[in-house]
Amino acid sequence: MTISPDQIVLWAWGPLHLNATVAWTWAIMALITLVCWGVSRRLTSGPELSRWQNALEVLVTGLRDQIRDVSQQEPGQYLPFVGTLFVFIAVSNLLTLVPFYLPPTGSLSTTTALALCVLIAVPLFGIIHRGPLGYLRHYIEPTPLMMPFNLIGELSRTLALAVRLYGNIMSGTVIVGILLSLTPFFFPIVMQLLGLLTGMIQAYIFAVLAMVYIASASSANRAADQGSDQQGKQQSDQQGKQQGNQQDDQQDDQQGGQASKQTDRSTQA
Amino acid sequence: MQIDWLTVAAQVVNFLILVYLLKRFLYKPVTAAMARREQRVEDRLQQSREREAQAEHERERLHQRLEQLDQQRDKLMQEAREKAEQERQQLLDEARDEREASRQRWQQQAEDEKDRFLEGLRRETTAGFEQLARKALTDLADVELEAQMVHQLIARLDALDEDVRQQLANASASEQVQINTRFALAESQRRQLTEAIQQQLGEQREVAYQESSQLLCGIEFRVGGQRLGWTLADYLDRFEERLDNAIGATPA
Repeated sequence: MTISPDQIVLWAWGPLHLNATVAWTWAIMALITLVCWGVSRRLTSGPELSRWQNALEVLVTGLRDQIRDVSQQEPGQYLPFVGTLFVFIAVSNLLTLVPFYLPPTGSLSTTTALALCVLIAVPLFGIIHRGPLGYLRHYIEPTPLMMPFNLIGELSRTLALAVRLYGNIMSGTVIVGILLSLTPFFFPIVMQLLGLLTGMIQAYIFAVLAMVYIASASSANRAADQGSDQQGKQQSDQQGKQQGNQQDDQQDDQQGGQASKQTDRSTQA
Repeated sequence: MQIDWLTVAAQVVNFLILVYLLKRFLYKPVTAAMARREQRVEDRLQQSREREAQAEHERERLHQRLEQLDQQRDKLMQEAREKAEQERQQLLDEARDEREASRQRWQQQAEDEKDRFLEGLRRETTAGFEQLARKALTDLADVELEAQMVHQLIARLDALDEDVRQQLANASASEQVQINTRFALAESQRRQLTEAIQQQLGEQREVAYQESSQLLCGIEFRVGGQRLGWTLADYLDRFEERLDNAIGATPA
């Protein structure tokens, strides 16, 4: 039984090989890009707009609202990164309905790649906002003694991101595979429906968590800029606690979803 | 469960490419379209706000204009009313004046008419009375009456002033004294009269007697252009003269 699409090698040339993960990723990229390109060619700014444009506008507006709610900042600079995380993961999870399709997010390599991107993006946005020294200073806050824990937290949450997504999607695929062999009729379809829900939730969780991490790196900056704004400090403390919770959260997807919603609410507050 | 680092690298690159592609084909155009739409909506709203303000302004202006027109109309109405009242008063005054004038004119005419009538009546009465008196006296005149008149003349002669008597005496010295009567005097009467004349004017005086129907009744003494007498014609003439004087004195 194939667990990861990494193991399906379609083409190999020396050490280079093209596996199903990359192939399906390209397919997804092509699909998304084609749809967006086709729709954005005929964008109108009038009151009457096509269904596709309406759908894309709903998507973009929703993403912007979510980012604004979580980060309490203008969403413009975060939208491409966070939005693409969501769109890519959501599309690759939703396509599990297609026969013979293997979601790239079921590959630990893909989720690791995405988590690495987040790992890089967090300090990148932090440095953009606070400057290098300002960003590095947050590792020794509240005391330099906390630096190891901060570093571990940074790494472990990246690992958690990768493993959570991988685990959920892979498990969905595996469960469907197992159920197909046990009860081939009806029940796998229900599980697939459940998988659709799980896939959407995971896409949301991944994107929102990435945004939370990025926002925490730059909202500390905001709190520092606002000086003795007590509320800001409380908010950032609360976010730190939530981050700690997230780092520890390596449990099932439902718990993760609840935690992310809590984070969302706390950040909004 | 293993990580293929080559795949990881490829997926990182793929993801970054996808970020670029979505930025190029999704976020940027869609955000721009929404911004344009928002801008258009905002423009429309701004436009409608401006129009609303303009309409409000226009409404205010028209309202003021209407009020002005109302005031103007009221003023004109008031003026017209005042003018009409003035005109009416003037016409009334004129009518009253005219009525008063015509009344006075009419009154004047009536007065004139009355005066003329009274005048005519007076003249008629006078003439009638005179005629009547003349006729009555004519009818009454007879010898007896004339005898009385002779006595009367004698009495007058006796009562003459000295100056007059002297004048008459001088006049009668060169000229014959003429006595005119209506009826022929009796001889005795002639003698009496002649004696009285001679007594008063002188012994040698001659007296001629003559009858004249113009005297109506009475006796007339003439000498040298002087006349002394007592006749009804004289009385009537004097009466008529006085009547004429009286009528002439009254306003026509």
